[in-house]
Amino acid sequence: MAEWKTYDKGDELPEEYKKLLLNLMSFQADSEYAGAQRVAENMRFAPRPEEAYRLSKKVMEEMGHGYYVWNLMSDLGVDVNSRLRELVTNPVNPDPEKVTIINGFRKENWSKLFECWEDVALFSTVVTPAAVAFLGQYRECSYLPWARVNVRIHKEEYGHLAFGVWASKRCIEFGGEETRQFMQKRVEKFMKVGLGFYGRPSQAGDKQSAMFDKYYEYGIKVKKPEELQVEYLELLESRLKEVGLEMPQGVEADYDMRVGYEAAELDDQVSKAVVG
Amino acid sequence: MIPELPNMLFSTGRSVLSKFGYAHFENGESRNDWAEMWEHLRSDFPLPSGQVPSFDDLTVPVQEAASDYMKIRLLADHYLDECERLHVKIFNGSIETDVVEDYAVARDRYEDSVENFGEAREKVQKLLMSKAA
Repeated sequence: MAEWKTYDKGDELPEEYKKLLLNLMSFQADSEYAGAQRVAENMRFAPRPEEAYRLSKKVMEEMGHGYYVWNLMSDLGVDVNSRLRELVTNPVNPDPEKVTIINGFRKENWSKLFECWEDVALFSTVVTPAAVAFLGQYRECSYLPWARVNVRIHKEEYGHLAFGVWASKRCIEFGGEETRQFMQKRVEKFMKVGLGFYGRPSQAGDKQSAMFDKYYEYGIKVKKPEELQVEYLELLESRLKEVGLEMPQGVEADYDMRVGYEAAELDDQVSKAVVG
Repeated sequence: MIPELPNMLFSTGRSVLSKFGYAHFENGESRNDWAEMWEHLRSDFPLPSGQVPSFDDLTVPVQEAASDYMKIRLLADHYLDECERLHVKIFNGSIETDVVEDYAVARDRYEDSVENFGEAREKVQKLLMSKAA
């Protein structure tokens, strides 16, 4: 594994490093909180008591992740309270100039994916493994306060994956083979999102690759999309098997959903990162 | 009264939970309407409805396990309220380490109580299944 210069709380950060770091931190913090708001909207699908309480627990966890990362950004001089204010007062359509939310957590994209509780269960079974792999890399990143916070976040994301498996199994336990077949048909739409989560595989010379190279050079991102894809598919296959579902073959990633942190070009992204 | 954020997400969530018996109580208040609470929770068990009798028709050991299951749920409701109060406190104040840590402690309690609620449900379920066997 590559070695990077590391920084801890209070260390002076190179200007470019700080901008790139804050870009990814703001994507994570804003998206954790906005994602929690989307999960809260899905409460309406909860069919039974334990399902409702476990989903509510997930809302509280995701919001907590947002607070953790915002708190670190505050140490770096970012006005994080205004970001929370924007998301709380405009949960449906927050201003993209004020917060940086991954597109998949914008209501207009998210809502299309969910029609029933089975979709809620499948999201956590099929898409969450991508989040586990993607966010997991930050545990080893060069900014140590963020790495430490992501150790806990990663553990809880694993918990969300366990929630997905539990909820999917409960759907089948209550609904039988008919429900299993219904869910099997819906795996693909979520797998497209999961495959798109960590961005396109890097190709030498393209803009995407140049942007990734910057993050990688500084140790802010520590895994390549290809490595994350291998991790994702391994996790996904094992969890689908546990539920009693099959992994669809030949599924293409939906990069248009741009759930990952690669949505905009580097300059656009950096310009949105609020540096104090 | 639970203080509210200027959106409906938490209150809507509580209204979903209230379908399953959630109720907000101020300090010192409690409830012991076990039979009524049980009615809200009977759908939690993947068993034919005949195997999940009304509370008064449960045998004493199952009633005791069901009461524990409902008490844990009441505790979860209390901790959820505490989490939501802290969300409002953070929104009205500032994202700072102390209050973020207070929230982390509150949500740990809530999360543990939800896990315990699930385990208690499984215990009741086993007893109901053994009665039916």
